[in-house]
Amino acid sequence: MPPWSDFEPFIVSGLALGGVYALSGVGLVVLYRATGVLYLAFGAVGAMGALIAWSVQQAGAPGWVGWVTCVVFAAVVTLGYGLLFGPPLAGRDPLVKAVATLGLTLVLYGVMDLLWTTSGGEARSITLPTDNGGFTVASIQVDWTQVIGLAAGVVITVATGAFLRYTKLGTAMRAMANDREITATLGVPVRKVEAAAWLGCGVLAGVAGILLADLVALDATTLTFLVVSSLAAVLIARLRSIAVTFAAAIVIGVVHDLITPITSLTNYRDMTPFVLAAIALLVVSRRQVISRSREEA
Amino acid sequence: MRIRAAVIVALLLFVLFGIPQLFSLYYVDSMTEVAVYSIVALGLGVLVGRVGLVSLGQVAVLAIGAWAAARLLFATTQPYPVVLIEAGLITMVAGMVIGLPALRLRGLYLALITLMLAGAITVVLDTINFPNGGRGFLGYNGSAVTPPPIRLPSIAANDKAYFQYSVVVAIVMFLLVFVHTRTRPGRAWAAIRQSEPTALATGINVTLYKLWALALASFITGVAGGLLAGASHYLYSIDFPAQNSIILLAVVLMGGAYSMWGAVVAALLYQFLPALLQNWGVSADWLTILFGLGVVQVLTTAPAGLADQVPRDLARLGRLLRRRLARARPMGPMGPVGPAAAGGDPQ
Amino acid sequence: MRGHMPSLGAMISARRTVVLAAAIAMTAAACSSSSSSTTSSTTTPTSTTTAPASAAAVSTSQCGTNPGVVATGTPIPLGVIVTNQPGTSFTDISNMANAYFTCVNDNGGIKGHPIKYYIETEQTNPTQIAAEAKQLVDTDHVVGIVGNTSIIECAVDSAYWAKLGYDVIGSGIASQCWATPNNITVNMGPRYSSDGAVQYALAQHVNKVVFDQSNVPGTGYIAAGPNALAKAAGVPITDLTENVPISDADSVAIKEVDDAGPDGAVVLNFTPPEALVILQAAQKLGLEDRVKLWGCSTPCNTDFLAQSLGPKWNDKLFVNAELAPPDTTNTPTMNLYKAIYEQYGKKTVTGGIGSFSQMGFTEAEIAVHALESITSGTYTVATVNAAFRAVTNYNTGMLCQLWTFGDYPFHIANNEDYTVTPDNGKMVQAQGCTLISSVDPQIAQYRSDAGTAALAPAS
Repeated sequence: MPPWSDFEPFIVSGLALGGVYALSGVGLVVLYRATGVLYLAFGAVGAMGALIAWSVQQAGAPGWVGWVTCVVFAAVVTLGYGLLFGPPLAGRDPLVKAVATLGLTLVLYGVMDLLWTTSGGEARSITLPTDNGGFTVASIQVDWTQVIGLAAGVVITVATGAFLRYTKLGTAMRAMANDREITATLGVPVRKVEAAAWLGCGVLAGVAGILLADLVALDATTLTFLVVSSLAAVLIARLRSIAVTFAAAIVIGVVHDLITPITSLTNYRDMTPFVLAAIALLVVSRRQVISRSREEA
Repeated sequence: MRIRAAVIVALLLFVLFGIPQLFSLYYVDSMTEVAVYSIVALGLGVLVGRVGLVSLGQVAVLAIGAWAAARLLFATTQPYPVVLIEAGLITMVAGMVIGLPALRLRGLYLALITLMLAGAITVVLDTINFPNGGRGFLGYNGSAVTPPPIRLPSIAANDKAYFQYSVVVAIVMFLLVFVHTRTRPGRAWAAIRQSEPTALATGINVTLYKLWALALASFITGVAGGLLAGASHYLYSIDFPAQNSIILLAVVLMGGAYSMWGAVVAALLYQFLPALLQNWGVSADWLTILFGLGVVQVLTTAPAGLADQVPRDLARLGRLLRRRLARARPMGPMGPVGPAAAGGDPQ
Repeated sequence: MRGHMPSLGAMISARRTVVLAAAIAMTAAACSSSSSSTTSSTTTPTSTTTAPASAAAVSTSQCGTNPGVVATGTPIPLGVIVTNQPGTSFTDISNMANAYFTCVNDNGGIKGHPIKYYIETEQTNPTQIAAEAKQLVDTDHVVGIVGNTSIIECAVDSAYWAKLGYDVIGSGIASQCWATPNNITVNMGPRYSSDGAVQYALAQHVNKVVFDQSNVPGTGYIAAGPNALAKAAGVPITDLTENVPISDADSVAIKEVDDAGPDGAVVLNFTPPEALVILQAAQKLGLEDRVKLWGCSTPCNTDFLAQSLGPKWNDKLFVNAELAPPDTTNTPTMNLYKAIYEQYGKKTVTGGIGSFSQMGFTEAEIAVHALESITSGTYTVATVNAAFRAVTNYNTGMLCQLWTFGDYPFHIANNEDYTVTPDNGKMVQAQGCTLISSVDPQIAQYRSDAGTAALAPAS
């Protein structure tokens, strides 16, 4: 076992990694609460947006143009998907809706590899101006982008939680996610609310995409399947509480990095999200059967 | 019924004896993979189609089977069928041990937990690697310069013979599942898929039958893993990425999770189409896109998949044609002369 | 999952098309007896007016023996198998080789015969790789295999090629590429390239080496070389592996730096995107100066990486370069390579000037040199591969040494290398041609088998 001081920098990097998982995980739960769909294409949409931003920057445009393009792209694709496939699948089991988004994920993944090949040993990367400069904690540097990543997670958690609970539009979204038919009969403008929910989701995916591309890697495979690790946090929160998702993601990130200096376990550290999610789910389900009933929102 | 059986037998005979003669070795090898993955798709079909359990981790189960088979093939000199059965049993036990606690979950949660478990297994396999003739429990020698290939069955030591061997094993696995569906487990599964509370109320031990389905699916996937070990000669953890489980689910949905033909169609989509496109110089990415579109399409319009729809569509097409021809035919006193145009079929 | 009722017309038309397409596909596959694998398209040459100054002095027609005359005889079929999957793609190598062959075909061919290059791509699936080898032999009837670059192809197909008498010239990755009599490469591969990087670090008198590599097949074999070198120098070495793609680069960088210490070296063996992610993380964390130096095996030798890394890594990161640095080498062959890239390769070689396309060029160059030496006029498996085996002391213009095939139990034809370092967006030479140390037992064995042929410098 290494001495305690060796673990300190890993706590800091673990918090940053947790922030990454949180950004993704919170986004997924927010979308689920607002639309009833577990939007598994969240990572893929953000990845493709980030690659488009990269291409835009390579073509000579200033950085911010790229970011805006990324967010716009993510918003358009997500809105398009929601409007096209939201209504036909609205009455189906959440599992079906989630698997349908896997279809979108595959389409985007294929397109990304076609358009941004990896044949030249190209190492693409996105840098944000906040990458330079930061402060030092536990003898390692923390850059502002990581702080923004963590802060974005917090802001999204708090803001969307409040939005969904206290505003009229947010309440309408939650009702629709619960039961579209009944909400329509209550006079809620279903199509408009739906569009607003998906649009918001898309913007979220785009912002997360740029941040994650900077914080993790600009690689289609990594970013697309990062959602799998953040799903662990989502599962621990049982797809319900945004705040629990955030907290779980942070814990997962910190535990994952704390295992790094332990030589006997270090190669298994990528199992952390999966093991923690499995334990949490199985412990909780010991007494009850867990199912996604319509009444839970 | 008899005609159908005869057609199936004829088709199988063609596959067993015609394909090795007619196709080049490239396609024969690809067809061996189709045979292997048709078993895997069948297992996933049992889970998804018969019991309603969506598993996003079948490729990890396949990897366990392949690992077990490779270890046994290197460590022992047991005959191939014995090794295949052992690999199946080991995978079955692993599947049940891992799956049993998860059975308490339903729907989306269950699917996601299978994804989590598959992710964990993938990380473990990445670290311990596949056996390559080394010693110790893991049988992996990381420093070997020329690791030995996995041995083949003595009666099927070349490509064509191994293809036929794989097809035979696949037929046996399909028969195993077929027998299950026609007897008590099959009826219990159908009841569970209809409505779980009702099934419980009628006294069906839901957990037991779900476990049985899990055991069956894991067993045949394990056997498929053993076949894969022989076909591949060398196994690497990079061959079993977690995302393949997603593509596998996609093709099973497209092929049809409810029928056994669906498993064959799924395997053709998964292994034969890529080989074909590779030959034509088309990037495999187009297939990924196609599968993505296919999943969405299937879920929104045709949940029973191609294997169910195509015969129905062909039959409908046939009736449509017959009706058109009947209208063109001269009318006799009792109606159209010729084969009776039966009244419109209900959908 | 319950279903909705789809519209009948839509379903029928959709399904009918699928059935029809499937039927056609099956028939086409069954009936395909003629070549059906991809032949790379000979793209019409793009204009050469934009070539850089040094390359403009070189006309691409130098690649062939009959400038300007398009070859129209019976083709000589050659084949290649390269990995092409998301995250790992070596198509630049085969595409550059194809560009070279196209140039040769435009300028006389091989005594009037054009080369037909069949490219098979694979996704690291052993059965697929084995099947593609059979496709090349049974359907395309290739007489030689040039340019193979694959994570596992050498392992899967070595025995098959040996049985049929093919001597494969490629860019190796798997250990078998340097372990059989019928496999030879133009590169050094992960083990010997890592040797070179570690050797350079040891020469700078570091007191600890941390060797981190991606968890691909054969990590033990790869690490054995650096471990032997470090042991002989009396320097402790730690071996680490990471699962790729890396999603937690921060912790990887911290781990490496902590282990190496202020007078240690961190040596990486990863593909460029993964290495970049680790190095960028180290920079963001402010760790790049916490060790004495950073090293990397040859994949890092690309301008893309130099541009993405920035000036903090000048003279901080030392990359083993298996081939001559294109930016600082002004020889006729290097200029010919750049000119051929400009004219024939620009569309398909997406990585541009760099190690991958250099390897493709060199392999094609050797193959053409061997083919041109055939005087009998017959190009069969036997004659072509005998010609390959006969190549001796050939100056490729890209390597430190003269290249010899030789009749040895295994081949490490390239065992002398450069070291480069980033310099404001480009990779520049930090150390000239240096032999890989014979402390590595495989190197020692090869040099003992090959004698002086193993050491012949190119200049």
